[in-house]
Parts: sequence; structure tokens; C-alpha cells
Amino acid sequence: MKLLRGFLWLLGFQLLGHVVVELLSLPVSHAMAGLLLLLAWLLVKRRLNESVATASQALIPLLAMLIMPGVVGVFFVIDEFAGHWMAIMVALGVGTFLSVLTTLWLMRRFMPEEAANADARRREP
Amino acid sequence: MSDLHASLLNTPILAIALTLAAYLGGIHLFERLGRPSWCPAVLIGAVLTAASLWLLRYEYADYQRNVAWLTLLLGPATVALAVPLYQQRQHIFALWKPILCCLPLAAVLAAFYSVLIAWLLGAPSVVLASLAPKSVTAPLAMGIMEQIGGSLSLMLGGLLITGVMSTIFVSLLARLLRITDKRILGFALGVNGHAIGIVRAFELGPTAGAFASLGMSLTGVFTALFLPLVWRLLGL
Repeated sequence: MKLLRGFLWLLGFQLLGHVVVELLSLPVSHAMAGLLLLLAWLLVKRRLNESVATASQALIPLLAMLIMPGVVGVFFVIDEFAGHWMAIMVALGVGTFLSVLTTLWLMRRFMPEEAANADARRREP
Repeated sequence: MSDLHASLLNTPILAIALTLAAYLGGIHLFERLGRPSWCPAVLIGAVLTAASLWLLRYEYADYQRNVAWLTLLLGPATVALAVPLYQQRQHIFALWKPILCCLPLAAVLAAFYSVLIAWLLGAPSVVLASLAPKSVTAPLAMGIMEQIGGSLSLMLGGLLITGVMSTIFVSLLARLLRITDKRILGFALGVNGHAIGIVRAFELGPTAGAFASLGMSLTGVFTALFLPLVWRLLGL
């Protein structure tokens, strides 16, 4: 019953997201709005409802399976994007290389040293 | 006989059974191959599904329509992602300053580099829209796709390739830049390589794993909020 109750909570927040997105004509998906509303609600309540935790533990491992039918479509659009595959692969390869490089550089720049070194560094100018 | 074939292809039950079987088969093969990070289980499952569709002479559009009964669960499963995000709040509160400095820029650039390169190479706008959410975890990326257009299948293919390449580039660049801080490596894996990066991060240890999930969730949420807005402003 915990699972069902939690599932109902999730559906409720998705519907709430639906209502908010449509009323305010926001450019986010209904489920995304539901995620943010649930997160806000959890942060306000400061307590994780047991049934919501159960339902989310049951659903999150299924995500990979749920996106698989979409991935299958790649094999059916090969012709549709003929002539663009070169651009797509270069954009993915070079783009990912550059963004990994930037993330690592930014994090190294801004991340405080691990606790032990934090004080030592502060004394430097 | 052909009536039976037609009625089987018309029931959602076959489409769902096929999907579950292919996915479980994909996981099984993935384990047998020794969990290769260059070939995620979901990709093996997708190949198995595509092969069965071809064998059964099942049109992809029909399959998609029938399997929608199952993929409907993506909505509540996406909402459920609020729970792990909530559970990571201590990390977020403790490190809000570096996160605020890095995350928005890193998430924007993850989308920007690829879109720019594809645009320079003359790709049409439907391709650009499909590449933009490439570092976002799939359920959120599918929500973005509803907003900015693009091809769902191309986007998901790009997502998988991005995830696999992120794990390769993070290992490579970590060695070149001599970065050993597990928090940084985990975060970079999550920001760029979404769920596939997380799997790799957990191999580096629990700290890297926690920071990867944090990086993935924040990138996903941030991108889902800013990308449709930017797309609308640019009039793409």
C-alpha cells in the first residue's frame, strides 16, 4: 500500500505541475514542474514521507528501461538525417571534450581544498 | 495467420513484453560482457528491440504507439527524481559557492559547444535542438524536447554517445591535468555524462558517486529551466 500511496503522491505532483505550467504558460515540461514542486514541498516540510520514498525507489531504477523505446528510434532515423551524421558526431565528440575540460578547470578553480588543507590556503594572499 | 499477426502487433501487451524482454536481455548481455563502460546496457537492449521489430515486421511508429502504455511511467518517475535531490541537500548547502560558480556555466557550455559546432558545420535547426540537451539525464531531456522541438530518437542517441565519451574524456583529462580530487571528478562526470557518468563515478568510490548524482541532477534541472527559455528568446 505504501508503494501505491507514494505513486499517487507522485501523480498528484505531476498533475499539479501540469496545472501550474498550463496556467502560467511556463516553458518546462509537466513532469519537470512536478519535480520542482515536490522538491520545494520536501524542503518546506523537512521530512521525507515514507511512501514517497518507497515509490521513488521503485521507479527510478526503471528510468533506463523507460527511455529504451525512444533509443530504438535511432536505428529508424538514420536515413532521415543522412548527410548530417558527420556534423552530429563532430559536434558530440569535440563538444563533449571541450565541456569536460571546462568543467574540470572550473571546478579545480573554485572547489575548496578538502577540509585538511582549507585553513592552510586561507593564510596565503 | 496474417490476422493473428496483425492483431498481435496491435496489442500493447506484445510491445510491452518485447520491451521488457529486450531490456532484461540487454542487462544480461551487459553483465556477460563484463559491464563495458563504452556500451551501456540500454544500448544493447535497444539493438535487441530493433532486431525484434525488424524480424516481426513491426513498424516503429506502431510499436511506439503501443509501448506508450508503458512509457507513460516516465512522468511520475521523473517527479520521483526530487527525492534523491532532496537527500543531497547537505552537499548543496555546504558547497553552494563553488556550485553556484561552476554549475550554470558548465551546464550552459555543455549545450553551447555542441550546438555551435553543429551550427558551424551547417546542421539544420532540428539537429541543433536534438543536440542541445545532450548532457541532461534522459527523462528531463525528453521534457526539454517537448519544449524546443527536435528529434527524440536523435537526441537520445546523442545522449548515449555523450555519456560514453564523457567517461573517456574525464579519465583522460584527469590524468593530463593531474586532478585526483574525487569530488571534482565525480561532479564533472555527472554534469557532462548524466546517468552513464554516474555509473563510472561509483567505480571511483562513493564520494565521486554522490557528487556525480549531484552534478547530474543540478545540470538537468538548470538546463531544463534555461534551455527552453533561451531557445524561445533566440527564436530558434
